[in-house]
Amino acid sequence: MKHTFLGVAFAAALAVPAFAQDYTIMAPANPGGGWDGTARAMQEVMQAEGIAPSVEVINVPGAGGTVGLAQFVADSAGDPTKLIVGGYVMVGAILTNASPVTLADVTPIARLTGDTQAIVVPAASDIQTLGDLVEKLKADPGAVSWAGGSAGGTDHITVGLLAKAAGVDPTKINYVAFSGGGEAMAAILGNQVTAGVSSVGEFAEQVKAGTMRLLAVSSAERMPGIDAPTIKEAGFDVVVQNWRMIAAAPGLSDEQKAKVAADIEKLNASAGWTSMLETKGWANTYLAGAAFDTQLAADIATTETVLRDIGLVK
Amino acid sequence: MTKGFVPERRPRGAAFIIAAGLAGLAGVLLWDAAGLKQDGGYAGVGPADVPRMIAYGLLILSVGTVIAGIRGDLPRPPRQAPAPLLWILGGLGAQLALLHVLGFVLSGAILFGCTARGFGKKPLWRGLLIGLVLAVVIYGLFDRVLRLNLPGGPLEHLIFGG
Amino acid sequence: MDSFSLLLQGLETALQPMILLYALVGVVLGTAVGVLPGIGPALTVALLLPVTYGLDPAGSLIMFAGIYYGGMYGGSTTSILLNTPGESASIVTAIEGNQMARQGRGGPALATAAIGSFVAGLIATLLLAFLAPQVVKLALSLGPREYFALMVLAFVTVSATFGDSTLRGLTSLFIGLALACVGIDGLTGAARLTFGVPQLMDGIETTTLAVALFAIGEALGVAAMTGPADRLHRVTGRVSMTAQDWKRSWKAWLRGTFIGFPIGSMPAGGADVASFLSYATERKLTKHPEEFGHGAIEGVAGPEAANNAAAAGTLVPLLTLGLPTTATAAIMLAGFQQFGLQPGPLLFITNAELVWGLIASLLIANVMLVVLNLPLIGLWIKLLSIPRPWLYGGILLFATLGTIGVNPSPIELGMLILFGLMGYGMRLYGYPVAPVVVGLILGPMAEQQLRRALSIAQGDWQTLVSTPVSAILLTVSVLLIVVPMVLRLMGRGKVLAAVAGDTD
Repeated sequence: MKHTFLGVAFAAALAVPAFAQDYTIMAPANPGGGWDGTARAMQEVMQAEGIAPSVEVINVPGAGGTVGLAQFVADSAGDPTKLIVGGYVMVGAILTNASPVTLADVTPIARLTGDTQAIVVPAASDIQTLGDLVEKLKADPGAVSWAGGSAGGTDHITVGLLAKAAGVDPTKINYVAFSGGGEAMAAILGNQVTAGVSSVGEFAEQVKAGTMRLLAVSSAERMPGIDAPTIKEAGFDVVVQNWRMIAAAPGLSDEQKAKVAADIEKLNASAGWTSMLETKGWANTYLAGAAFDTQLAADIATTETVLRDIGLVK
Repeated sequence: MTKGFVPERRPRGAAFIIAAGLAGLAGVLLWDAAGLKQDGGYAGVGPADVPRMIAYGLLILSVGTVIAGIRGDLPRPPRQAPAPLLWILGGLGAQLALLHVLGFVLSGAILFGCTARGFGKKPLWRGLLIGLVLAVVIYGLFDRVLRLNLPGGPLEHLIFGG
Repeated sequence: MDSFSLLLQGLETALQPMILLYALVGVVLGTAVGVLPGIGPALTVALLLPVTYGLDPAGSLIMFAGIYYGGMYGGSTTSILLNTPGESASIVTAIEGNQMARQGRGGPALATAAIGSFVAGLIATLLLAFLAPQVVKLALSLGPREYFALMVLAFVTVSATFGDSTLRGLTSLFIGLALACVGIDGLTGAARLTFGVPQLMDGIETTTLAVALFAIGEALGVAAMTGPADRLHRVTGRVSMTAQDWKRSWKAWLRGTFIGFPIGSMPAGGADVASFLSYATERKLTKHPEEFGHGAIEGVAGPEAANNAAAAGTLVPLLTLGLPTTATAAIMLAGFQQFGLQPGPLLFITNAELVWGLIASLLIANVMLVVLNLPLIGLWIKLLSIPRPWLYGGILLFATLGTIGVNPSPIELGMLILFGLMGYGMRLYGYPVAPVVVGLILGPMAEQQLRRALSIAQGDWQTLVSTPVSAILLTVSVLLIVVPMVLRLMGRGKVLAAVAGDTD
């Protein structure tokens, strides 16, 4: 009797995926972070806009997303309903951690959003401009301590690029990695470090309240509503964007890949997504297809050079 | 569980095995530390230094355990019954192996049934049945209501739909 | 006075029937998930975030706050009754609480935890309301060197969880420290002890280790025991607290509150560290040292008050600075942002009504929790009269549910079994399991803060004692080690006990 029961159950299970267009999005980070936020924002909009009847989000945190990436590659191969959120931090983490699984093992679909990096100092600091800060850095790189996120992450890369552009040996920067934005921000507010690097959004409220001074932003153009020069304007050729992307499982057929890409395009074109980005304060940096593949390859190459310069990658 | 023993002042073989285990753990730490970059940066303390210190600590504790073993300074455990252990470990192992094949409910029912059997409750099928009911309730509550992502299998699809 | 009238205004907001309903839903859900090992309030809030998208902002934020407080509450129940900590801040509760339950005093243990949580939650929420700006200024003046000193102090006090043999206690601690090395090194990104397994790169999950050592190790140990069954899990005596219990609990509650709140409000503190320090304090100050390790009520009252006070404490940097210092705070921040609110230095000014409404509903959630939980104690206790095969089957099902719900990977479940076996072995030979978990939590914190402090000071070790706070904390730590040694050398027995009782 048990056998027939199981048989029926199996038949039912096999029949289900045929008419379900659901997605499962993996956020390779803890609840509360940027990747988790992106995944949950997608979940909300995709369900509300009817792009997918049901979207689930799972969190697999750790090591700049490489833990989740490895698990995604192992568990989801050939499954077109599985997606993973990733980003620039992952590019750095894959190299720094010598991750056995890389972005070449998944099917990148599109870049969705991006954050600009900001360089700040505590309000009590005597440093007024990025020029002042670089002056100090040139005089004694060890005396300038930088607070930011994980080693090899976007914040670290930004500091490395700035040092290099200023003619300072990038291996000599005194970068102090903090776990999570909160702790790094506390160290800056508490005047424990010389300067801090993170996304503009993270610092915006502090800058508005006058507890931090914003020296420069890492975008190519000045940002509307933000009263600070770009790093480029200050004389250093550095542009960094902390972008976030969505990728599908490895081993998809061309039709399967096209279907996912179409759904993501639909998401990007939807009114719900536009208003979601507005609420979250994220820039829409949508880029898909061959253009994205080229950009991704270029980003990986630059990142590898910087990390080598900093001494994190051999 | 430590209450039942009477310390006996005679050498204890178990202490030597524990000491060897600690020394082995220390060895693994030292071996791994040797392969790390020795770059302490401005701190002067690199990624390999703390594991090394912990390894030295473990080595000292290992020696301490040997001495305690010679002096008979280790509790003598009461007699253990292996069968219940195997039932429970089997249940856990079965859940691990079958989770993604059978889904949360069926593999959970097996774990529950095996554990109950390990605690001497016969027959096995009754434990499995109770486990099945409990697992269905848990799955319904946490996966369906709270939308926690539990692995579903054939039974989950049958009861709760896609 | 101004704050006071704002708070009254907030209470008015919070007492609207709909808002009360949100708070009720929050505390019930929070308690339910707090009971589950591994599934914390952070994940619950994350899961509920999309559900609340269409709801009114005040209501859903208040619901999240209810989940947060409820989660801290629920964790103690399983610790006490089933020796299975629901989250890392409830680990020390299991030490004394479970012993009490075994002696048939589960009722008073749950009661002192519930009332202690209430008292701590009440005081800490009021402190949050009136002292937040001052407290946060203090917390920000602390940097890596002070945190390192605090971790050293926490390490010294861990010996309180060692049980009857220092050698075995230290061994347990060092096993925990060794396990803590597994994963990516936070400061350089180097992979330590990962053996090429990606899942190990994030280190060993605290809840996985705690659930395995406590719940699975215990189940194996009980099942493998031969001979007559001990009196384990028999419910005897009264469910409510005696006059003696009250007398011994109230000071512990207050001390726990005043340890928990400041530590919770520090950007690198946390409820687990607060609960360790509170346990050690109670053990030092108790008039019944012989009961510790065998069911001392202070050992439940203090840590439970401390972890709830710490939960309120983490809201201080969140509301005043927009600094999320725990995963739950981070997800609450995301919740704020969902409604277009940006917590920061200006939130108290720009959204005063909402903030005070939130603080007021924390007070109400706190009252709801104690009202809900006290009558439930009788029901919870009945859990223990379930026949053992069913009880342990259920414990293991719930214990694995936590791991499966968070990350259903075979490696995670494999670790659960492996550490379960280790816990069983440790139990057999009288090794305490709590220090392993403590080592896993404190080890990386201490290491990272030390290296950060040294990096900022460019390798100058004097930085560690260069501020009053760090110097005092380190001096106290040294005294805690040296003084008992000296006393032991000078004389033993009664003199030692008498003096040890007087100092500190």
